[in-house]
Amino acid sequence: MASADIELMAHLMRRAGFGATYEELEKYAAKGYEAVVDELLSPMEQPDLEMDLLERYFVDWKEMNALEVNQAYLTYRMINSERPLQEKMTLFWHGIFCVGNSKCEHGRQIQHQLDMFRELGMGSFPKLLLALSVDPAMVFYLDNCMSHKDAINENFGRELLELFAMGVGMDGHANYTEEDVKECARAFTGWTIANAIPRYPYGRFPSQFAFNAADHDYGEKTFQGETGNFNGDDIIEIIVRQPSAARFIARHLYNFFVADEPQIPAWQGTPPRDMAAIKEMEDAYFESNYDLTAMLRVMFNSDWFKNARFEKVKSPAETVAGTMRLVKDFTSPKPGLHPIAMEIRYMGQDLMNPPTVEGWHTGQEWIDSGTLVERINFTADQMGNVTLPGVKDIISRLSSEGINQPGAVVNRCLDMLGAYTLPEETRTYLVDYISKAGELHPGTEAYGGQIAQILQLIVATQEYQFA
Amino acid sequence: MTTQALGVSLQYSHSIGRGEFSGPGFRNPVAIARGEDDMMYVVNRSYEYRPDGKRVTICTVDEDYIGEFARGVHTAGVTDIVTEDGSLIWPTSVTLDRSGNVYIADEWLNRISIFTKDGEWIGKWGTEGSADGEINSPSGMVFDADDNLLMVDSKNNRVQKFTKDGNFISGFGSAGAGDGQFNLPWGIDVDTDGNIYVADWRNDRIQKFSKDGEFLMKFGSTGSEPGEMNRPTGVAVDRTGMIYVADWGNERLQMFDPAGGFVTLTTGEGTISKWGKDKLDANGEMWKEREIAQGIERERDFWGPVAVTVDDQDRVFVVESCRNRIQVYRRQEPTFRGGGRL
Repeated sequence: MASADIELMAHLMRRAGFGATYEELEKYAAKGYEAVVDELLSPMEQPDLEMDLLERYFVDWKEMNALEVNQAYLTYRMINSERPLQEKMTLFWHGIFCVGNSKCEHGRQIQHQLDMFRELGMGSFPKLLLALSVDPAMVFYLDNCMSHKDAINENFGRELLELFAMGVGMDGHANYTEEDVKECARAFTGWTIANAIPRYPYGRFPSQFAFNAADHDYGEKTFQGETGNFNGDDIIEIIVRQPSAARFIARHLYNFFVADEPQIPAWQGTPPRDMAAIKEMEDAYFESNYDLTAMLRVMFNSDWFKNARFEKVKSPAETVAGTMRLVKDFTSPKPGLHPIAMEIRYMGQDLMNPPTVEGWHTGQEWIDSGTLVERINFTADQMGNVTLPGVKDIISRLSSEGINQPGAVVNRCLDMLGAYTLPEETRTYLVDYISKAGELHPGTEAYGGQIAQILQLIVATQEYQFA
Repeated sequence: MTTQALGVSLQYSHSIGRGEFSGPGFRNPVAIARGEDDMMYVVNRSYEYRPDGKRVTICTVDEDYIGEFARGVHTAGVTDIVTEDGSLIWPTSVTLDRSGNVYIADEWLNRISIFTKDGEWIGKWGTEGSADGEINSPSGMVFDADDNLLMVDSKNNRVQKFTKDGNFISGFGSAGAGDGQFNLPWGIDVDTDGNIYVADWRNDRIQKFSKDGEFLMKFGSTGSEPGEMNRPTGVAVDRTGMIYVADWGNERLQMFDPAGGFVTLTTGEGTISKWGKDKLDANGEMWKEREIAQGIERERDFWGPVAVTVDDQDRVFVVESCRNRIQVYRRQEPTFRGGGRL
């Protein structure tokens, strides 16, 4: 079985990234855990994707004006980015600061928002909130462009408090009042977008944020007990000082990276699964002056993170991107990426088009009879394709190790997919299956097929659905 | 915005196109060839997930729609891609032989498909590989005065010359950044003397060769100042030797003199095309939206100027992959030729 170092590294890379091949895990393990965490937390030190090459071959990526085009691009990034945590954090914020293509109908504009998450998503929380508040896709999605000084629209103001920065409540009490919502909305009046150029005949143009001073309510406001002539940036400055903001981010980070938690509507009355862990992240938030990387560092280096193995159901994006990283397909531009990207949608996560502003419910809610079948069919199709480089690598490695005993084959296949473990009953079933398939002769064509079958059976297990 | 350095200038004429997956319009156009009687052949790459939009559009310089031919095929999952004769996966370029037949390169299939001028499929050739006469990702193509086909064999970093039916004649070039070497070259053209110009894409320069492949000169370097380039994709030479470069990464067209000296550039002056007007007339509310739109001057700018060609009337055609449009310019002479007045 894989060493403890490899098992821990597999856990880290599944959570802080989209998984890794066994060869990559060996390299990471040789560097040491904290060094790898440091590397993950410093994405700008790793090369970005070469966009000129990608736009040359995926010609539609230079324009990126349709949802499906953007979804393919996002999928490619998740499969290939050498800055996996940056990509994971982009997905994290996308699931919280939701905008949907069903309303925006402008894929590139949402892509710009995701680019902003890539740039700011691991830095200062107030800066991120400010960028979000002037993001044209958000301004449009939550109707802040329809909020006027003499007729406020509460939508953005409410969600900023409820779903983006504080949450309805914690420890059994409310975090804000209805009056706070109204005052918040007043402070953001005049934060709007310029009138857009219509899509016909030459396609969409990026929208532009505009501050309309004539439509801003300059009057006195009282928010969270403080009074002044607040503008939107003053509101953000007050929000980030609240204990509720620290709690809000800490719980989201815990749910996304550590272990499945109850969904956000339950947070007011349901205490965190691990209050001590949440407290450590809250402390890091305040001690670092609201720095997200400081929270991530505390989290990844903690024992409670390291010990939370397979405590999370993989999201569809993690399932698809993680499997593609293992089979090493689409590592360079080639036709046929769209159906791979669509698998994420079919498994219940229509990226850049979440069901509501609350985003996707996670954990067990990812799984139903339909999405489970999608997961198993997709992952088994990939693992059964012995022409894919990653599958070939696994077969080649087992061959070179001369592994020919059924039990050892199953164990080594589990290692290769990321140091998984199976309940004894399931493992015995796999061992029996391969035993009945005939003798194992490493290096033969038949051996490759037998290994692929074991890989297919492993990805079809309940255990593979967990990260 | 047009910057003028010398007396020679580019005068904007008109725009052609609109965004469509079929019929009058283009979808991510990547290449153009001019035919007889003001005919144009425009290669549409389309979205990856919309192979129905991959096609070749036939229209005129005056924006009369003639028809379209060839189609994309779905490329699903792990199954092998099955392509019928005449279908397209990743079409990159188009050129016409002396009799007007249309040659389309496909950089995924490593296949040259041949059609009549009316779009009837009549043949194909192309063998993947790196030996003489084999190809790996064909990009730009142009016929020389002998009616032989010059092809940018991009991933082999060379130019190869073929007979029309695909028999190898000669080739030159290798990978690198030295004289006569290439880094994923893209567009190509020949001048009236048979000299060959290649857009050396990832070396951010244009190289000029004799018709025998002897290196003659180079110009351009990485950057965004006038005369510098950011991933030049297309190159065209007019009958006077002036050179036009689709400076794709800088979103502009640059014009150079025959010695490679910078002359002028434009970042686009697009206006509403005939097909564009038809589309707006059919969606009347958009005329009103345009009236209140802010920043509508952005519509003039190039977005993805990927290909350029010039005809024997000194008309310069710039294909914009992201705006689904072709902007047409005309080279203006600095010399007073009489007939006008002060």
